[in-house]
Amino acid sequence: METGVDIAARGLPRPSPHMTWTDEELVAKSIRGDADSFNELILRWERPIYALAYRTIGREEDARDVCQETFLRAFRALPGFRGQAKFSSWLYRIALNLCRDWIRRERRTPVVPTPEDVDLLELAAASEPSESIEELVARKDLSRTVERAMALLPEEQRTAIVLKEYHGLTFQEIADLVGCPLSTVKTRLYQGLTVLRRELAKNPSTKSTML
Amino acid sequence: MTDMLCGYLDRDETIVAFLYDDLDPARRRDFEGHLLTCAVCREEVAGLRGVRTTLARWEPPAVASLQSPVAAQSPQPWWRTIPAWAQVAAALLFLGVAAGIANLDVRYDQRGLSVRTGWSLDRSSGSGRSGESGGSRGTEVAQSSSPAKDAPWRADLAALERQLKTDFHASQVSAHSSQAVAQSIRATSASDAEILRRVRALVEESEKRQQRELALRVAEVLRDVTRQRQADLIKIDRNIDLMQNKLGVEVLQQRQSLNYFMRVNQRQ
Repeated sequence: METGVDIAARGLPRPSPHMTWTDEELVAKSIRGDADSFNELILRWERPIYALAYRTIGREEDARDVCQETFLRAFRALPGFRGQAKFSSWLYRIALNLCRDWIRRERRTPVVPTPEDVDLLELAAASEPSESIEELVARKDLSRTVERAMALLPEEQRTAIVLKEYHGLTFQEIADLVGCPLSTVKTRLYQGLTVLRRELAKNPSTKSTML
Repeated sequence: MTDMLCGYLDRDETIVAFLYDDLDPARRRDFEGHLLTCAVCREEVAGLRGVRTTLARWEPPAVASLQSPVAAQSPQPWWRTIPAWAQVAAALLFLGVAAGIANLDVRYDQRGLSVRTGWSLDRSSGSGRSGESGGSRGTEVAQSSSPAKDAPWRADLAALERQLKTDFHASQVSAHSSQAVAQSIRATSASDAEILRRVRALVEESEKRQQRELALRVAEVLRDVTRQRQADLIKIDRNIDLMQNKLGVEVLQQRQSLNYFMRVNQRQ
């Protein structure tokens, strides 16, 4: 049972060893004009926010823009932040709103660009030392397959899966974040996972894990 | 995936809660007991676990640390924050003050263009003006502006005027001379054939260039059309997938309704 678990406690953000302040303390210091404190918050949360944006909209550059815009908006709105929600939830909400705006602006289902030709040199540069080229290509293939399948999901199902699967939010936290009943979150997750199962089963690289 | 039905209460939500370990112990025991007897749910739970395993291997691309929107980590040099116009104005002011201090003197005379400062020692002019005390700059400027020999630009101007007058006179003379005109026509007609040949060559070359450009443009248009066609085909393909997805969701909802009706029937 995972209720009321602090997101920061799940090891998602990596706090700097030099800064042991909590998010709330850093927020308070930032409001008083300490820019270093806000930079520390950025360091803690930029990776999760970027990952959220990337998995929601599926484009590297745009995800980066969304991430940057999220922190800019948060910084501007910081004086109005009263601590009624956790800083992380507040940040997630800003990021999700920006992702939603992006999707509306693009007026289409986000599509992950898939390069037709694979540059082996580029791949090799991105590989881990212990990973062979074959393993690397397989990993890239799998990522691409998952990205394509995720891009087929309606936005609300995709968001629910991303928040639950990759950010470990509780059902209640997701419901609060996206503003819908708890049962709706579960239904969206069920429907999204079911569609993903069907889509992933079509692809040879992911078929083996689907039953 | 199986098309068989199961009437377990709140089946879909329970499956999701079970997958993410979010069931209270009693509900969990109950559902685990159900899984022992229901092949449909067992198969579905296993399939969805497989989806979760696959999803866990999806990593977003690595990204370098974002540049901080709050400029505190790497402060810019103070002079970077001054606007460009202010920097230019400051540079001009500095040059002006420096020129004033250096008593700058720019001259154009028979020796050509020369730039001197008040700090330079003018030995040549100093000997010519031995009677003057110290050779002050103000006196020097006043003296050098009066004699004609110290102003070479006047001689240049006079030479230019003479040249123009000569040219004008020559053109008048040639206009009145019929013989000169006839000679000129003969000379011109002799070179007409050559000019015509050159013009034709130029025209041909221009036509070839235009044809090449036209071919290039046509090729570009064809390439664009092909690219657009491919993009449209991909879009159509994705739309079909999306429609299939929506259809799948609808089928799912239908199945949920059926489940509900079955449960209601079972209760009755």
